Amino acid sequence: MSKKLWALLVILLAFMLVLGACKGSENSSEGNTETTPKETEKEKEEKPEEKTEEPAETSEFPLIVDNEGEAIKGGTLKVALGTDSPFQGIFSWVLYEDGYDADIMAYSSNAIFATDGDFLVNDKGIATLEVDQANNKAIVKIREGVKWSDGEPLKIEDLILPYLIIGHPDYQGIRYDGDFQNIVGAVEYHDGKADTISGLKKIDETTLEISFQKLSPAIFSVGDGLWSYAEPNHILKDIPIGQLLESDAVRKNPVTLGAFKIDKIVPGESVQFVRNEHYWKGPAKLDGVLLKAVPSTSIAAAIQSGEYDMTAGSLPATKYPEVKDFDNITILAQPELSYSYLGFKLGKFDTVNGISVMDPNAKMGDVKLRQAMGYALDVEQVNEVYYDNLRSRANSLIPPVFKSFYDSSLKGYYYDKDKAIEILDGAGYKDTDGDGFRETPKGEKLEIKMAGMAGDAIAEEMAAFWMQNWADVGLKVVLSTGRLIEFQTFYDKVEVDDPEIDIYMAAWGTGTNPSPAGLYGKNAAFNFSRFTTPELDALLTAIDSPDAFDPAFRANAFREWQEYMEENAQVIPTQFRTAIYTINDRVKHYDVNYDTEFDLNEVELTADAPAKSTK
Amino acid sequence: MSVNVGNVKDINENIISSPPTGIQVIAREFKKDKLAMFSLIGLVTVILGIYVAAFFLDQETLMKVSLRDKFAEPGDKFFLGADQGGRSILAQLILGARNSITIALSVTIITGIFGIAVGLITGYFGGLIDNIFMRIIDFFITIPVLMIIIVFVVIIPKYNVVTFIFIMSAFLWVSTARLVRSKSLTESRRDYVNASKTMGTGDAKIIFTEIMPNISSILIVDMTLSFAGNVGLETGLSYLGFGLPQSVPSLGTLVSYANNPLILQEKWWVWLPASLLILLLMLAINYVGQAIRRSADARQRLG
Amino acid sequence: MWKTILRRVLVMIPQLFVLSLLIFILASFMPGDPFTGLITPESDPNRLEELREAAGFYDPWYVQYYNWIVNAAQGDFGKSYTYKIAVADLIGDRALNTFWLSLLSVVLLYLIAIPLGVLAGRYQDTFLDKTIVLYSFISYAIPTFVLSLIFLFLFGYQFHWFPTTGTVDIKYDQGSWGYIWSKIYHMLLPAITYAILGTTGVIQYLRSEIIDSKSMDYVRTARSKGIPIRKVYSKHIFRNSLLPIAAFLGFTITGLLGGSIFIETIFGYPGMGQLFVQSITSRDYSVITALVLLLGFLTLLGSLLSDIIMSIVDPRIRID
Repeated sequence: MSKKLWALLVILLAFMLVLGACKGSENSSEGNTETTPKETEKEKEEKPEEKTEEPAETSEFPLIVDNEGEAIKGGTLKVALGTDSPFQGIFSWVLYEDGYDADIMAYSSNAIFATDGDFLVNDKGIATLEVDQANNKAIVKIREGVKWSDGEPLKIEDLILPYLIIGHPDYQGIRYDGDFQNIVGAVEYHDGKADTISGLKKIDETTLEISFQKLSPAIFSVGDGLWSYAEPNHILKDIPIGQLLESDAVRKNPVTLGAFKIDKIVPGESVQFVRNEHYWKGPAKLDGVLLKAVPSTSIAAAIQSGEYDMTAGSLPATKYPEVKDFDNITILAQPELSYSYLGFKLGKFDTVNGISVMDPNAKMGDVKLRQAMGYALDVEQVNEVYYDNLRSRANSLIPPVFKSFYDSSLKGYYYDKDKAIEILDGAGYKDTDGDGFRETPKGEKLEIKMAGMAGDAIAEEMAAFWMQNWADVGLKVVLSTGRLIEFQTFYDKVEVDDPEIDIYMAAWGTGTNPSPAGLYGKNAAFNFSRFTTPELDALLTAIDSPDAFDPAFRANAFREWQEYMEENAQVIPTQFRTAIYTINDRVKHYDVNYDTEFDLNEVELTADAPAKSTK
Repeated sequence: MSVNVGNVKDINENIISSPPTGIQVIAREFKKDKLAMFSLIGLVTVILGIYVAAFFLDQETLMKVSLRDKFAEPGDKFFLGADQGGRSILAQLILGARNSITIALSVTIITGIFGIAVGLITGYFGGLIDNIFMRIIDFFITIPVLMIIIVFVVIIPKYNVVTFIFIMSAFLWVSTARLVRSKSLTESRRDYVNASKTMGTGDAKIIFTEIMPNISSILIVDMTLSFAGNVGLETGLSYLGFGLPQSVPSLGTLVSYANNPLILQEKWWVWLPASLLILLLMLAINYVGQAIRRSADARQRLG
Repeated sequence: MWKTILRRVLVMIPQLFVLSLLIFILASFMPGDPFTGLITPESDPNRLEELREAAGFYDPWYVQYYNWIVNAAQGDFGKSYTYKIAVADLIGDRALNTFWLSLLSVVLLYLIAIPLGVLAGRYQDTFLDKTIVLYSFISYAIPTFVLSLIFLFLFGYQFHWFPTTGTVDIKYDQGSWGYIWSKIYHMLLPAITYAILGTTGVIQYLRSEIIDSKSMDYVRTARSKGIPIRKVYSKHIFRNSLLPIAAFLGFTITGLLGGSIFIETIFGYPGMGQLFVQSITSRDYSVITALVLLLGFLTLLGSLLSDIIMSIVDPRIRID
């Protein structure tokens, strides 16, 4: 008897210890601010109702933050890089592949162009751009007196080098692409027939002339093959291209042009930057930047306890509910250059001829069915509950951030269950066998297989919710392969037109060049829906035609294309995204505007350590 | 989840002097060890309760996502609160536990039957068959099982609970086979087997009516412990995201919410009940197993 | 003795061969390839084909296998598609991390388990003994991931006793004392967790050994000679009981390697277990295959090591 008693006692004690510890910690964190937790609780209760009446606008969030306080001298900015795997550490703009490396390199940037709010090159950067449309040429001029972080002056050779690396036969990266081949002589150089790229001409010590096969309006947003970063020729010229990836000049001590330079690296974990004394806008006010990789699940907790001043890159929107109550940060938001969408498989890619071929008998071939599925999705509720409206229902395939091409008057698809039911009824989709799901107009069973991407913290809930939405209008949708599919496999299956996939939910980043030809053209391998018509191709060609150098013409071409896409619904845009940034209260001033002139060398801190949240 | 299942050597403190018949000894052992008795009764009650409750629950309706109930706190609507998808934790606990137990039980039975058959046959006949199987068993022992299971789970094109059970079973029969082989090897050299042989009793009869009953308590111990191990493995794999598909309720998936420190701290109802349930299940099964093991040891010493 | 070891090593070769074949076949079934993740609207599908061609994706399987195994035998497992460095270099760093973590864990494990085991055995059936047995029982039953999460939360996030990311603080220079201490400090929490989870076997074994040896002749003789009980324990029983514990070492190490998948993933410690999980999600075949092969090899080594120690310690057990 006693044996049982003490055994139980010990087990209970052990649990209570654990429980008590959790409880205790809650108490202690609440103890500091006795009144506030109650308030937040109240807020929580009231919020859902408020929200439904008055959805928050992304514009509610500031783009700029100014914090009170005297700036300290120097100091180190602490930056968290939210990633679940060690970063790769390829610190070269021509070679890197992982977005995290780009987030890290942003602090030691090698960019030579500055762009305005429309992502067009302006004259505020190291280099300026002049376009000679008649002769298909671009002239790049660099400022005098710009120096690399090791004190060497920036030369035209440094601008030519990245082209020579990307085009080189030994180059192992992914940037030798169609755009790059648009540069005169790039293909010959890549095939080993020429020693250099004939389209690159050094005019004088500060001027580079680049010749292209053809030019489109994209050239102004650094498209068409133009490259926007410099590489230090004096360092890299002695390293064979094939060995660049492993070289110390890329991995350990890259020479850069930005406000900070890399001082020390613990591979995959942390990077220590120090002030670049040779920065062309003047040395930074901070002593340096310390960047550490933090698992994405614990990043909110780290921000809360004041371990970091900000995150490298943006914080995932799903983290917003976790950080919104912290009182040691200001949350800035910025619209993203991307959209989420629902795609329908309507054909196959003919790999021999490199064109999309539509299948007239495709399961999703009925445009009415596609439209109904678009109206059936309650994207609005997902945006509200999971994203606190940091994502909004997309009305077209052009994110609003492209002010000149975005058209808010487009209706797009929105949640309207009755409309979806009406369309389906009208198109002859009826439940004839009484199982609760509609059959096709021919009376056959209709089971739609959806491919969904795994990875996001709420991916599973969202997929389940979409399927419920469709079930509500009587459509049976199941997951391809019975589960969500991991990123790489997802695209692999979508790319090869896997018969297991009827519809898929994915997202595209548009880059700063919104031209949709690469995603929806007849020849585009990334036209995953495989929808193609002569009308569509004509609309796409118009967007990038020489006439489109006239902004009004281009805007109109975009509008016509968007309307056509909406009508045919081979892809239905679902969400526009907003990126959020958490800036700690000790950072004196920060600005995430796309067209800001604020630069990292101006960052100042007002305390020795980041502020902690009392909540 | 401990890795070295089977390395735990227990000693017998309760010397039992009555003549041994498996069930009696085990019953006696349980009577003596109140905690084991308590564990056994608790275990049976909980398992029965879970199955009965699960019988009345409809997985499809309960796994319906209800966004506005995201992380609902325990209260009137949800007795134990709701998870990220607004689904009742209590229902997931019951269904998840049922799934875990069903899977672990299936795996235990499959690996048990296969492992015992292989072990008995190789141990009894020896020679070439034994040699071939020993090479195969040796090979399986070199395999990093956890890793290979994960690889399999990832590459299976049509993935569901049944395939998951088979993947696990394919790699977990080895230790049973190995244990049974060594025991039946010693048994088959004993006099009573030789006597039977000389009397002309058939091999099958000797194996199943003479050797097997004699090692039955060891088999029970092994099955019990591997049952516990399988519960741990299933929840562990689900926790890592390589177990049950996410739409199927699982204890491991519930625990994995705790990866986020803020949920760990503020939303205990999501992960704590599942963790406790796993822990208690493991404790109870192991305790029962240990009690049986003690009785088995006693018999061997006396026999 | 040397002959039997040699024989064991020879037997390992076909085992490794079969394992490598199995791994290779599995890898070839994996959906997706490392290049599918690279697509963006700007990237050129032809370029991806070119890269696939260059990586040997279209060779017949036996050519691929032959190339892989021949290179692997020379320590060349190809290049990681994710990290763009040689797999051997990548695993080398991670394996070293896992090695140090395992070593620290084993040391802690024995530091915890040996005193507890001895105490439990010596004061058999007392309250102390029962507490220790119960502790060992709970630590055996508690799932790795539950304990790890709780420890990480309590000691990492709540009390801030231990760092929660990385393996070393960047402010120290490699090789300095600060650097070494910082490394150990970063490993301590996962190592303690590891150690606690693994103590059961050693405690129970040691406890029963000591209880057994109490009734052994040599103890009785020593006692009858009037040697004080304390000395009997420290000189005779303890030493005799400790030797077999050494044999656990091999198993403990292989056990640790398996458990590293959980521990390293949860504590964000960049070792082989974490690398494995990451490689699975990023479809980094060359890394997955190399890791499984390496782990298989280490498991073999571990069991060989155990057998050897066992045969030295206890000549009755012969290596078969």
